[in-house]
Amino acid sequence: MIFFQYLANGLILGGLYACIAAGFSLVWGVLSIINLLHGSFIVLGFYIAYFSYTLLGIHPFLSVITSCVVLGGIGYFIQLGLINRVVTSSVLVTLILTFGLELMMNNAMLVSFSADYKKVLLAHPLGIAHLGNLFIPLDRAASTVIAFLLILSLWLVLRLTSVGRAIVAVRFDRQAALLMGIDVNRTYAITFALGAALAGAAGSLLSVSFPIAPLSGPLFLSKAFVICVLGGVGSIPGAAIGGLAFGLLESFGAVLFGSQYALTLAFVVLIILLLVRPHGLLGVRGF
Amino acid sequence: MNLKTAGAAIAVAALGILATVSGANAEDKVLKIGAPLPLTGALAPEGLRMKSGYDLWAKTQNEAGGIKAGADTYKVEISYSDYQSNTPRAVQSAELMITEGKVDAMFAPFGSGATKAVSAITEKYGVPMIAAQAASAQVYDQGFKYLFGMYTPNDTVTRPLINLIIAKNPSMKRVAVLSRNDLFPLAIADELIKYAKEKGFEIVSDQKFPIGTVDFSSALTEIRSSNPDLIYVTGYTNDNILIRKQMEEQGVTAPLIAMLIGPTTPEFIAATGKLSENVVTSAWWDVAAKFKGEDVFGSAQNFEQLYRKNYNNTYPDYSVASAAACGAVLAIAITKAGTVDKAKVRDQLATMDVPTFFGRVKFGPTGQINSLKPPTMQIQDGKPTVVDPPEIAEAPIRFNKK
Repeated sequence: MIFFQYLANGLILGGLYACIAAGFSLVWGVLSIINLLHGSFIVLGFYIAYFSYTLLGIHPFLSVITSCVVLGGIGYFIQLGLINRVVTSSVLVTLILTFGLELMMNNAMLVSFSADYKKVLLAHPLGIAHLGNLFIPLDRAASTVIAFLLILSLWLVLRLTSVGRAIVAVRFDRQAALLMGIDVNRTYAITFALGAALAGAAGSLLSVSFPIAPLSGPLFLSKAFVICVLGGVGSIPGAAIGGLAFGLLESFGAVLFGSQYALTLAFVVLIILLLVRPHGLLGVRGF
Repeated sequence: MNLKTAGAAIAVAALGILATVSGANAEDKVLKIGAPLPLTGALAPEGLRMKSGYDLWAKTQNEAGGIKAGADTYKVEISYSDYQSNTPRAVQSAELMITEGKVDAMFAPFGSGATKAVSAITEKYGVPMIAAQAASAQVYDQGFKYLFGMYTPNDTVTRPLINLIIAKNPSMKRVAVLSRNDLFPLAIADELIKYAKEKGFEIVSDQKFPIGTVDFSSALTEIRSSNPDLIYVTGYTNDNILIRKQMEEQGVTAPLIAMLIGPTTPEFIAATGKLSENVVTSAWWDVAAKFKGEDVFGSAQNFEQLYRKNYNNTYPDYSVASAAACGAVLAIAITKAGTVDKAKVRDQLATMDVPTFFGRVKFGPTGQINSLKPPTMQIQDGKPTVVDPPEIAEAPIRFNKK
């Protein structure tokens, strides 16, 4: 059944999309900033995996940890040192700040890594599973599984740890959280770090399946944006569901309308959703 | 944006320095040629191959004493700029080369889309531009006088493959087409579909993918379910490498897989390994045609030897030959004109009819060459092999078992 092939393609792609969107959604939900740097973080995570593999032979799946640590650190200090200064001003100000940072980071990556597309060519790929007429590329499927594990851990951190509860509290009510003795600026920085770490992880996971160039960021950013609105801004399960929905939409949309309209279709759905259900599929205040 | 402006300023400064350096050396007259190329980015494989062709020509021509024009002899100097596979940057750098770099002639950027964009600039300033890699008729039907192209129109590469299939395997009827949503790939796909239908083939799938696509699973799944005899993919080398690999991941097979462009390049064969076997492609030129000419290379075999000597024993495909031929043709036109005057060189190009290592070169009324007969190639045992036309074929075409 060819239907199941489309389903499998959509779900596998959707898992990676969910990972791309989860961090973006968290930052947007808690800090109320649209982080245009997110796409560049993904690309940087890709390069960490690429160079770890080509220079040191470290498998990209292990580089997920390095990417989380490096990008988390970068994210923490960007938020603490720069974005926190303007975080309470209007959306436009933070948007311009992250836009400027994105331009700087993209050009720095262009200079450092050149505009060439790079791809990790695994020496020992996992291969392809044949289930009757169904073909599953295993490396890609494994990335999807890891992506969901990461999203699950983020969700657990937010629900079970004191840092997580502080993040949720700040999201609900900044003033009240301040009064309860929560260090809001630090909480913001941790939130941004988590978002960046997840972006970096997503980049490392993508490296086994897709080629990336320094300017690939906006491609991922636009998808993260749609997925967030689709699933509901600030909701981690929403990002997971939204990612899967988006993957399926692209997969089946390509069948119905042709591949060239896949992104158009996604944005049409976005507009319809904004009109009909503006808070997204799972958009509620809280986690 | 600031960085881009800074980059442009640096480029201007660099061109200025170039101009002073060459001006200081007054004894040798210098022919300056501008060549914006995608040396990095998605089209880098194509851009680097073109550069290797230009460089080989410049080196060979200079070693042969330069270009004679009347009483003067000119040394060739090509100034490159990397437009990072970003067409608007190609247009900007072309204008800089003409206005600041004062080039005498231009070599076009890669592909029909970028060539068409830059041709508006070269036409405006009246600078002759020769395009190594632009085949679509839409580039040449603008009524421009200073634009010349080394590739015959698209239908001359799509028709021989269909005719070959009819002759060798008439049971093949079902064609699936997957094309990059870009000027040249779409034009080639359209030509193929038109001619295949005319010849009684059935188009069982016709899909386009956006520029920058990295995941082809949906399109390939549709192709698999359409059960084609021929899969015809049009895109550039990087696209085709990805698509060929993802075909394997998605279990897509067919008696014949055709891809344009790139399968004959070392990058494609290295990156896809065994998957490159039996992939068929059309080209505008091959060494096997054994052309002889009155240009600086003299013959196709000599060109191959020089290329292999200079580039690590790499097989020169049609794209590097076409790039080198741009230079060879320009040199002939300048010698015939007896000057580097742009308008006179242009007139010589327009009326030229000469044998070269690239084949007979005669440009049609639109500026596009109309004197070549493009061969069909197949990767057999890891090597590009000519399978058509019969007079230069090295082996019969092979079909995959289903």
